Amino acid sequence: MNNLLEVQDIHTFIGQFHILEGVTVGAPEGGIVALLGRNGAGKTTTLKSILGLTPPSQGRVVFDGQEIQGRASYDIASLGIGYVPEHRAIFRDLSVGENLKIAERRRGDLERKEELIFGLFPDLKRLIKLPGTSLSGGQQQMLAVARALVPDNRLLLIDEPSEGLAPVIIESMMEAIRQLSGDSTILLVEQNFIVASRLAERYVIIEEGRSVKAGLMADLVDDHETIQRYLGAA
Amino acid sequence: MTTPSRSDGRAVRPEKRSFIARWLADNGLLTAIVLALALLPFALALINGQSIASLVVNESGSAKFIQGLLIEVYILAVFAISYDLVLGVAGLLSFGHAMFFAVGAYLTGILLKNFGWPLWMTLLAVIGAGVLQALLFGVVLPRVQGITFALVTLGFAAVFDIMIKSRELAAWTGADVGLQGIPRPDLLNPNTQRLRFYFVALAFAVAVYLFYRRFVNSPTGRVCVASRENPDRAKMLGYNIFYFQLAALTIASITAALAGMLNALYKPIVSPEIASLGFTVDGLLMVLIGGIGTLSGAMVGAGVFRLMDFYFAKWFGENASFLIGVIYVAIVLFLPYGIVGTWQRRSISRRKGWRRLLWFTRES
Repeated sequence: MNNLLEVQDIHTFIGQFHILEGVTVGAPEGGIVALLGRNGAGKTTTLKSILGLTPPSQGRVVFDGQEIQGRASYDIASLGIGYVPEHRAIFRDLSVGENLKIAERRRGDLERKEELIFGLFPDLKRLIKLPGTSLSGGQQQMLAVARALVPDNRLLLIDEPSEGLAPVIIESMMEAIRQLSGDSTILLVEQNFIVASRLAERYVIIEEGRSVKAGLMADLVDDHETIQRYLGAA
Repeated sequence: MTTPSRSDGRAVRPEKRSFIARWLADNGLLTAIVLALALLPFALALINGQSIASLVVNESGSAKFIQGLLIEVYILAVFAISYDLVLGVAGLLSFGHAMFFAVGAYLTGILLKNFGWPLWMTLLAVIGAGVLQALLFGVVLPRVQGITFALVTLGFAAVFDIMIKSRELAAWTGADVGLQGIPRPDLLNPNTQRLRFYFVALAFAVAVYLFYRRFVNSPTGRVCVASRENPDRAKMLGYNIFYFQLAALTIASITAALAGMLNALYKPIVSPEIASLGFTVDGLLMVLIGGIGTLSGAMVGAGVFRLMDFYFAKWFGENASFLIGVIYVAIVLFLPYGIVGTWQRRSISRRKGWRRLLWFTRES
């Protein structure tokens, strides 16, 4: 096994609810893995369990050879795991520049990455001094992704990047994610199957808290029966 | 943000003016307000036909009286801004803030009166007590959040309130009557050196404001703001937000204790009222009137609170509290973000509007 991230049969409770009942995900270094499944299947909870926001009660999460389940989330993050939460999760009380600056893990991260970030998202450069509240939805989503790029993250967990975005913005977002996968491994939650299938090399399908099927995206695209069964209409 | 001028794409213009000149230009309103407050005693003396010399030798009159009222405003302003740092910046719902202030006041009184400590040692002790109080609150901070933290802090403050009112400690605290007969240090005697006390209190308030503003805009302060808005997101960036909240709590606790110290030196009596929940609520009111999270708003709120309290009682007698209540309700209804908060929001949207207009004309 030379997977950068190895999630092995995790179970997670939120309050008294058994949300994850055995999820296994492997992410090889350098690729994009898509977590697929219907609403409420447990995709976001899987990401949060990896990060320790909703710690799993059973199972193992192995990142780069070390077990990280049960650690504090700020410790997990500082190992080099970046998270782009869903719903444009920026800090609205901070300016665009401050949103980026706060993501620095080491002094000078932002200056080193400035070119990369503003190359991917030229809009942000122009908006750098504006408060987070005055950005449009697409701009907020770009900022949320850009923020995860500031430190050197080996693994990026991205939740629903295309949600609620206009088609033309989805295109540039996809382009950005594709470029990122050159430097980091990406675990992607995506409802939009077309987006997911064009980005990811591998997939894991989650159904009612269990990972039920995994494999190469190239095989899934032609497997209409599976798509119909687990994802509804494709 | 450390590199604003570089990252917005414009070249940094060579700056010819000196640092001080630039600072004054950027802080015009603040400078004007501080200057006006510093000159106010002299202006009042002249209006009332007193000579400046009589003011300096501390002749009583309305100028001296107004100075006294404003000294109270400055002390309350520091109390309010420290509450705003906890509540509005760090987002910690604390209902024990009066204790921070009262500990400073009582400690000052007891050390000066019962132990005969010199002023500078008392000052150090008050700062030390400020740190300890913050640590006390910090012990429970990682374990309880939100309304539970509010109740625990309320509990701490209630215990302190009961303690200072207890008969067993009456020899030190004066129990219900309050702590009386604190010896006035020659250096800072509000009765014989009113003008000097006035300037010390004003300088203290201004220094606290500048320090707080610097803190909130520092990287540490930005993390406090971020973790107030969304603790999970801040954690996901690798921040152990507990340390940042503790930093804010410690700064607030020390400044509130120092304000309490000044209060003990100024007032003839340390009243147990300042340890009660009522005083925390007063602080909350000042923060809300001025605008939560704005810092300067808390200080403006303290001024409105104290001056309205005094002048309404003088003008309207028994009806004053009713009228004050009506005005507070009106402020909450029509200025939901407080006086300063609402004003800042308006000016942001005005600026945003102008910028949109400029882009529009340039791009079309």
